[in-house]
Amino acid sequence: MRKRARTFWKLFPAHFVIIAVCVCAIVFYTTGTITRLCKERELADLETQAFLVQKLVQGKLSREYSRDLNTILKQIGPEISSRITVLLPSGSVLADSQEDPDRIGDYSVRPEIKDALTGKRTSSTRLSITSSLETTYLATPVFEDGRIVGVVRVSAPVEATGSIPRPLYVEILLGTAIIFFLAAALSMYVSRRIHRSVLELREGAAQFSGGKLNYRLDVPNDEDFGSLAEDLNNMAAQLHGLVTSITQQRNELEAVLHGMVEAVLLIDTNERVLRTNEAAERLFQLDRDRVKNRTVHEVIRNTELHRFVSKTLAGKGPFEGDIIILGSPDKFLQAHGVGLLDTHGNSIGAVVVLNDVTRLKTLENIRRDFVANVSHELKTPITSMKGFLETLREGAMNDPENAGRFLDIIIKHTDRLNAIIDDLLSLSRIERDVEKGGISTRESLIKPVIEAVVKSCNTKAQPKNIIIECDVDTELVARMNPILLEQALVNLVDNAIKYSETGGTVLIEALMDNENIIVRVRDHGCGIPKEHLPRIFERFYRVDKARSRKVGGTGLGLSIVKHIVNAHGGRITVESSLGLGSTFTIHLPNPRAISVHA
Amino acid sequence: MRIRLHRDIQRLDKSIVSLGTLVEERFRMAVKAIEFRDTDLATRVVEGDLEIDQREVDLEEECLKILALHQPVADQLRYIVAILKMNNDLERIGDLAVNIAKSVPLIARRSDLQNFFDYSSMAERVQEMLEESLDALVNRDLNLAYQVCAQDDEVDIMKRAMQAQFATQVCNNPVDMEPMIELFLVSRHLERIADHATNIAEDVIYMISGAIHRHRGRDYEDIE
Repeated sequence: MRKRARTFWKLFPAHFVIIAVCVCAIVFYTTGTITRLCKERELADLETQAFLVQKLVQGKLSREYSRDLNTILKQIGPEISSRITVLLPSGSVLADSQEDPDRIGDYSVRPEIKDALTGKRTSSTRLSITSSLETTYLATPVFEDGRIVGVVRVSAPVEATGSIPRPLYVEILLGTAIIFFLAAALSMYVSRRIHRSVLELREGAAQFSGGKLNYRLDVPNDEDFGSLAEDLNNMAAQLHGLVTSITQQRNELEAVLHGMVEAVLLIDTNERVLRTNEAAERLFQLDRDRVKNRTVHEVIRNTELHRFVSKTLAGKGPFEGDIIILGSPDKFLQAHGVGLLDTHGNSIGAVVVLNDVTRLKTLENIRRDFVANVSHELKTPITSMKGFLETLREGAMNDPENAGRFLDIIIKHTDRLNAIIDDLLSLSRIERDVEKGGISTRESLIKPVIEAVVKSCNTKAQPKNIIIECDVDTELVARMNPILLEQALVNLVDNAIKYSETGGTVLIEALMDNENIIVRVRDHGCGIPKEHLPRIFERFYRVDKARSRKVGGTGLGLSIVKHIVNAHGGRITVESSLGLGSTFTIHLPNPRAISVHA
Repeated sequence: MRIRLHRDIQRLDKSIVSLGTLVEERFRMAVKAIEFRDTDLATRVVEGDLEIDQREVDLEEECLKILALHQPVADQLRYIVAILKMNNDLERIGDLAVNIAKSVPLIARRSDLQNFFDYSSMAERVQEMLEESLDALVNRDLNLAYQVCAQDDEVDIMKRAMQAQFATQVCNNPVDMEPMIELFLVSRHLERIADHATNIAEDVIYMISGAIHRHRGRDYEDIE
């Protein structure tokens, strides 16, 4: 509230002072004029009296009439407020309305008498010795036949006549005071009005600066304040529009960043993180609030990324790089970095976009390995066969014993090549079926399938004295393609047998839990090392190349199993410990799945 | 002057976190190399140690320069001292990672030995400790630092278990002595790394609170 007084006090006191000064000036001027007017009136009055006296004393201006004149004057004297004195040209007093002429001295030195004796009518104002009052004296010469025969002097105290009477004075002052206060009040009112306009504008400005750009000022009916208010309103409208459009742009940008699959990092010249998007927060497990304004080093601990960021900030780009996040599993990222420049070409930061290419890289590895493996798998038997055939050609065919042996070996190799190609075709057929719209399935009992599997594998199990045990619910039903499922299980059981020691057991179990049908093949063989577990379902992937070939295998068995299981809409998992054995678990969707919500 | 000091300390911040990151990565690589018998990875760890050593020296020089130029007091002095000590511990962890990596070629030839020593749980725990101690440093998180110190005992227990296992295995297969010793030593290196990670956490505690949190809760004697 204090500030309010200040502006008001700027307007009001100035006006107040101006009014006061003017009023005082007017009062002084008026009283001065009135005083002058009164004085002139008084003088005129004295002149009239002097003229009348002059007529009265005409012809009687000599000593013999002295007593008569005195008597008359003394009779008039008390009735009038002025004093009349008649003098001879010598200066001596002939008659007086108030004093005794004999006792009055020579008046010839009095200025007005002196002047009158020269023939001029004059007045003077001075302090009277006799009455001790300020008195005005008017002396006029009396002429007779062109000769001055005497002087008539009329005098009156100033106080009685020559100034403004006291009541009038008081009246004037009172009137002045009233008018003065009225004027002051009016001035105050007007000042307040103006001040209020200013205050309204101030309120509007405060609202705008507080962000309420929707507020609108009332436009006062005044050119200056009015146009100011209009301009302020326009400014607010413009700002509002700008803010809205910027906010919208910002929201659009946010939406784009939010929806991106790639991770985006915005970094400033001090290597501090300005902005991240959701993908980046997921990838690096960041908490957006904790990341603000921390350096890249603190937030993401990856040396390659730090180097990439430094490089991008130093140069203009665009830069590309590969970044690996170590973990289980490792993540491979492709980074793209561009420097951000301001209008003068100075670096103000960098943008780094990261693409998760782990899957691509894995697929690339798989494909590369596959091609290498296929070539190798096919080439090895063929080279071998070629060798033997050439040997035969060069003479061994003439040696029946050796020839026979060689040909057996060649036949074995061709069988192997055949098996590989069969498996490849099998795989390709399943893939094609899946692509075309799926394999044909029907709901049927599992147990018969497993029994068929056992029967078919027993031929391989018996020589090694391996027992195949079954634990299968007779009623268990699944939606499946029995032939394909049998093929998959045969592969699994075959493997189990291959990699088990003599006298071991292989267990096949099938059971149901709420979501899935589970078929499990468990062996107690040599097991699979941990590092190979993620990749054993790849085509031609071998754990121990030497041993695998010895026990006979194409390297495609598990791949076929995985494809069959996936075609059924299920999945396959493996657990294994070296030296203890492996467990392969097939999960198939349960056709009778009942969701129980308690 | 104050601005200079502030800037130098910020640079130091970055350097120590960089070094920590590098060491953390090398350690992870060494563990992976052991688990997957990856000799290439192991070689990279060994070759990368030079960089770690160089950075340690640079960091120490940076610290000494700050101490000489600015003569910091109170908080900032504590900070510099803590950094100096952490620097040392990090370099040691780097060396121990190299030791682990060096045993890979010896073990790689004997893939059958893997079932005797499975380091995955111990290595994971130690990795966690290192990660948490660096997190505590970066976030100035006192509670996390205390947590790291508490985990050290568990790692010691794990090492003792490995020791016992080793003793049994040696009795059963005296021929496989050399690679088995290498494998066993890995557990020792891991335990040492855990100790250094604990030291780092203690240095963080010192840096934040000024309290020296060492030599507490060591109930076991070191039998070596």
